[in-house]
Amino acid sequence: MFQQWKKKYWLAVLLLTLCSSSSTAYAQLNIFACEPEWAALARTLTGDAARVYSATTAQQDPHHIQARPSLIAKVRRADMLVCTGAELEVGWLPLLLRKSGNAKIQPGQVAYFIATDHVSLLEKPTVLDRSLGDIHAAGNPHIHLDPYRVQQVAVALVSSLVIIDPSNKNNYLENLRIFTLEWREAISQWEKQTERLRGKRIVVSHNSWIYLERWLGLERLAVLEPRPGIAPSSSHLGKLLTQLKLRPADMILHASYQNDKSALWLSKKTGLPVVGLAFSPADKENLIQWFDRLLQQLLSAES
Amino acid sequence: MSFEGLDFAILGPAFFVGLLILSTHVPLGQEVLKRGIIFIDLAIAQIAGLGVIAAYRFGWDIHGWEVQLVALNTALIAAVALNTLEKHYQEFQEALIGAIFVLAATASILILSGNPHGGESLKDLLVGQILWITWEQLLPTALVTGFIFLILFSFRQRLNHLGFYLVFALAITNSVQLIGVYLVFASLIIPALGSIGSKNTLLSAYLIGAAGYGLGLILSSLLDLPSGAVIVWCIAIMALLSTLVRGISDKSHDSSPMS
Repeated sequence: MFQQWKKKYWLAVLLLTLCSSSSTAYAQLNIFACEPEWAALARTLTGDAARVYSATTAQQDPHHIQARPSLIAKVRRADMLVCTGAELEVGWLPLLLRKSGNAKIQPGQVAYFIATDHVSLLEKPTVLDRSLGDIHAAGNPHIHLDPYRVQQVAVALVSSLVIIDPSNKNNYLENLRIFTLEWREAISQWEKQTERLRGKRIVVSHNSWIYLERWLGLERLAVLEPRPGIAPSSSHLGKLLTQLKLRPADMILHASYQNDKSALWLSKKTGLPVVGLAFSPADKENLIQWFDRLLQQLLSAES
Repeated sequence: MSFEGLDFAILGPAFFVGLLILSTHVPLGQEVLKRGIIFIDLAIAQIAGLGVIAAYRFGWDIHGWEVQLVALNTALIAAVALNTLEKHYQEFQEALIGAIFVLAATASILILSGNPHGGESLKDLLVGQILWITWEQLLPTALVTGFIFLILFSFRQRLNHLGFYLVFALAITNSVQLIGVYLVFASLIIPALGSIGSKNTLLSAYLIGAAGYGLGLILSSLLDLPSGAVIVWCIAIMALLSTLVRGISDKSHDSSPMS
């Protein structure tokens, strides 16, 4: 028993000495983003005024996250939190916030910024029925795939930034002005490029593309895995195949971070091309570069 | 290397919960090892999860402590069933436990195909994450631990088979939700395994476990890796080291009278 106590004591001493040497004081704002798309947006809008950290990468599923000590450390030190909301992070963000004990970024504070609070959501279920599956009660959260909604989020984000860090107000407003100009330019270009995709019929492996579908005018014929996380039943797959025989699709879409097994299976059965799309921006990529890449992936599969 | 995660406020609760869980799981693990039923924790945890999703399936809208109650009750029923099996089919006990684990896991899939919302609860029950634990959560765990500790060390001689299974079910239902199946399995089996042959098996198993948790938490901060998985590896390394050290000292003991 004494041995055990001694061990605990030494560990505590070791931990305390190590962490006391690592505290830093910067005038920069620390922003904790839940997903890389909001990290990229925050980086563009703050420039040098903030250090931005993303909890997940483009290769990760934002629904799930493994607890690492550095993650909690980052939240403890954050001055602002930028996340998607609409239950996307419901599995880990509340735990992380509770564990962090950081009063500045708790729900209700200005620095607790939830992107889906600032746009209208699609696929809001009219009847909440548990039997319908893992549907988000608030609506589909993957709004970053619609550039118009991203623009709305950018405006809201800057109004919050101005409240949190008024000394950099002019910076933020100027960054927003430049972003808006470039973004509008990019949108009109993308819409020209993707004109020929309008009306294309797609099959998706998960229902996470609704905003992109609406924006580009894609028609979704079917979802391969109707319930996220649960393998489709054989009768569902059978129905899918007959349905596609009667009314063929043009391509099968899936997020490149996800397993493409089911998409490849369907492709083998139907001969349709499979397109893996970058669901989120990569490290250091800004939103315009990422959308460029995403749309190129879509266009190259179709041609 | 990153030092920012090395913060007592972050790692402290995780370390203490580790010590609490070790205090009951190490003696339980030695018992499990003695009886040769090492996969019993996986089976019981999975059945507890099955109980919760079955409750959802039958339309109970349960939350918080009600979930705990359902999970615990199912685990206790499983304990009684396993005890009965041990009485009648002792030679196939391990195989039966394995089969029960697979049946419980696949039964959850079948039930979930109609009701995926239970999936979140099942996941909550099976993949606790040690780092999310806060100081406030330590109190109920400490109470459960104290209760189990009392039973284990005051009635150990009188604890019959059924008693062992019931205590085990209570311990597992509590710990799996906090630290996850992998870490529970590691805390049960690896220190018990690493301490075989030492003079005071209980003490060396405790030391292996405590050192594993401490080192694992520190390493996961420095290397920025998920804590649970790093701790499992550190417990294993500690157990291996202790076995090696004992092997060497045993050899020198053996050879000393010859020289």
